Amino acid sequence: MSKYHGIIFAYKDAPEMGDLTRERTVASLPFCGRYRLIDFALSSMKNAGITDVGVIMARDYQSLLDHIGGGKAWDMNRRSGGLRMLPPFGLPHSHQGNYSGTIEALNAVAPYIRDIQQDHIVLLVGSLIANIDLSAAIAQHEAGGAEITAICSDGPAVGLNHHYVLDEEGFVKEILLYRGDDATALKSLEGYIIHKDVLLRMMDEASARNDWAFHKHAMAAFLRDGGRMDVYRHEGYVCAVRNVAQYYNASMDMLKVENRRDIFPASRPVRTKTHEEVSTYFGEHSVSKNSLVSDNCIIEGEIENCIVFSGCRIGANTHLKNSIIMRGVTIGENAELSYIISDKYASFSDRTVLQGSEKLPTVVPKGSAI
Amino acid sequence: MKKSCIAMLLAGGQGSRLYALTQNVAKPSVPFGGKYRIIDFPLSNCANSGIDTVGVLTQYRPLQLNSYIGTGQPWDLDVSDGGVYILPPYQSAGEKGSWFSGTANAIYQNIAFIEAYDPENVLILSGDHIYKMDYADMLREHLNHDAACTISVLQVSLEEATRFGMMNLADNGYICEFEEKPKHPKSDLASMGVYIFNWKKLREYLIADEKNPESSKDFGKNIIPAMLANGEKLWPYRFKGYWRDVGTITSLWDANMDMLSPELINLYDPDWPIASRSPVCPPSYTGENARIIHSIVTEGCEIDGHVENSVLSASVTVERGAKVVYSVLMPGTVVKAGATVEYAIIGENTVIEAGARVGTAPDGSDGWDVATCGPDVHVAPGQVIPAGAMIYSEEEA
Repeated sequence: MSKYHGIIFAYKDAPEMGDLTRERTVASLPFCGRYRLIDFALSSMKNAGITDVGVIMARDYQSLLDHIGGGKAWDMNRRSGGLRMLPPFGLPHSHQGNYSGTIEALNAVAPYIRDIQQDHIVLLVGSLIANIDLSAAIAQHEAGGAEITAICSDGPAVGLNHHYVLDEEGFVKEILLYRGDDATALKSLEGYIIHKDVLLRMMDEASARNDWAFHKHAMAAFLRDGGRMDVYRHEGYVCAVRNVAQYYNASMDMLKVENRRDIFPASRPVRTKTHEEVSTYFGEHSVSKNSLVSDNCIIEGEIENCIVFSGCRIGANTHLKNSIIMRGVTIGENAELSYIISDKYASFSDRTVLQGSEKLPTVVPKGSAI
Repeated sequence: MKKSCIAMLLAGGQGSRLYALTQNVAKPSVPFGGKYRIIDFPLSNCANSGIDTVGVLTQYRPLQLNSYIGTGQPWDLDVSDGGVYILPPYQSAGEKGSWFSGTANAIYQNIAFIEAYDPENVLILSGDHIYKMDYADMLREHLNHDAACTISVLQVSLEEATRFGMMNLADNGYICEFEEKPKHPKSDLASMGVYIFNWKKLREYLIADEKNPESSKDFGKNIIPAMLANGEKLWPYRFKGYWRDVGTITSLWDANMDMLSPELINLYDPDWPIASRSPVCPPSYTGENARIIHSIVTEGCEIDGHVENSVLSASVTVERGAKVVYSVLMPGTVVKAGATVEYAIIGENTVIEAGARVGTAPDGSDGWDVATCGPDVHVAPGQVIPAGAMIYSEEEA
């Protein structure tokens, strides 16, 4: 058994994602042809040997449950331990909405956390696109002797909210909240390696004061009280998607070979639920340029700069450009589509013309018939 | 627990005519049709037909086959009251133990396994056929005709008939004669090597056949003729659909090419999925210079060259300026810039260096055939592998 227990936060919603997260959490957003965002966090855990993992969810989690199932894809369907999906429990009946903050989310599953067998816990955000080498982070945590090791990036990264300022010894001195992408400090991936007792103490103290924010309240208090927080620098691609444009750009980033090598290294594979059982057919007159295409598709038309999920059908003489089409999308013949993000099982009839904008691609909701 | 029908899948053959491709693996685990391995077809047929207990008889190089089948989870065969079992030859107390000496002997040696499920009927399958078939329908006919044995038959032309075991029928529709590769065929119904036996009957015949030192312990040569001689009821189940034996390089190549034609065999039919165990790879990437025509491509490929009329398994690389035509590329093969692969089968993880040429288009000459590069071969830059050649790695796995 690993000495570490994993907790993944999958409760967050993103109002700016619009229809893409109307029926799912950000963590279960489909990505790069066959994955869901949470696959990165789950695979990072698995690749570091952590298979006792709790996933905290709040609402709209049906698609997440459907995707993760018993955790088989990440070897987390264990007889003892393994994966535990954690919907809210013990919340007052008056509580209607989502968790107001990470501390509230943790407190909602406090009995689970108290029962954790391991002394150390790894916290990750379920909607982050990054292939984090947790084995290296853990090794550094153990060598460094800090109570908390924060996972951060000093490379290019999109959508990260918080930043760390370090002292002369390299420990975190201060957390800067909501500074956007332009701050010069280290960017927080909001992933932490933490001793279970420290986490429980932070949860108790923050909730006693009705403070629900993890960084603003609990972490700030921890640092103010002289707690030692080390940083682990993740090298490589990072993107936290919070809106449609970021999601689109992150998807298009995967068309670049260097990003794919970084996100899908052979040594730390990203695992996901599998269902495709047949290869993709490219027809007599098909053209496929600078695109990613999953299995079980039939491509008769032309695609360029696209991400095509499994089970899609693209008719003859259709031109699909700069677009993302999710699982089971059917496009008829002679259609012209550009800058669209089509959710699952949408269908486009023959001769459909639809043009989104580069800045804001048009989102076609799940199951639409156009 | 009593079962109506369980399946026994013969997967022990060496597949010697595929030599380079089966040097280190059993024929049923040879990659096929992009996403699959050959054994996926009978295993998926079992699962889709509601047969949840399958014994897989292995003998030759079973290592990869064992790990491929595993718990049977990809085919939903990981069930608690049945499942898929690998059955290698074994030794009993006080005996020397022996290899399976024939198809019938392989089943004979596993009578105890079959008895554990106390089945009414046993379905015998081969691990080297490509087809989609509802065994439940065959079982219904078998029961309706109160047959001791039902043999799945395929209508073939009389020229082809000389290559198969042929079934001659009596007026009442039952099989009255079996001829192995007849010079002058009397019927056009060829055995597909798929049998359903009443288990009690089969058990008797297996035990009797085992005692006969003259017998080659083969279903087609011994068991079926013995049943006919004793006047048992043998019913022909007429299968109308796509069926191919992939025992030779040419037939393996042909059948792979057939996967490009949904009118022959539709692999995109959600009602009869062929399942497989495959590693999770990112989607295939097609580059700025890629041109893919009438081909199938599997996840994890990186293609920036010309691919035409070809079947690509997972994680194949075709670099810019490379050309792959009428070929079968098994998982992990790499075709580097400027290399040409035509009318060839390329085994797993083989690397074809820049400017090399493998195979040529048919030129009408007698010596022409598909070129084959076995798994893990390194074709040097500029090297030419002529049509019909078969090259393989010297290393034993």
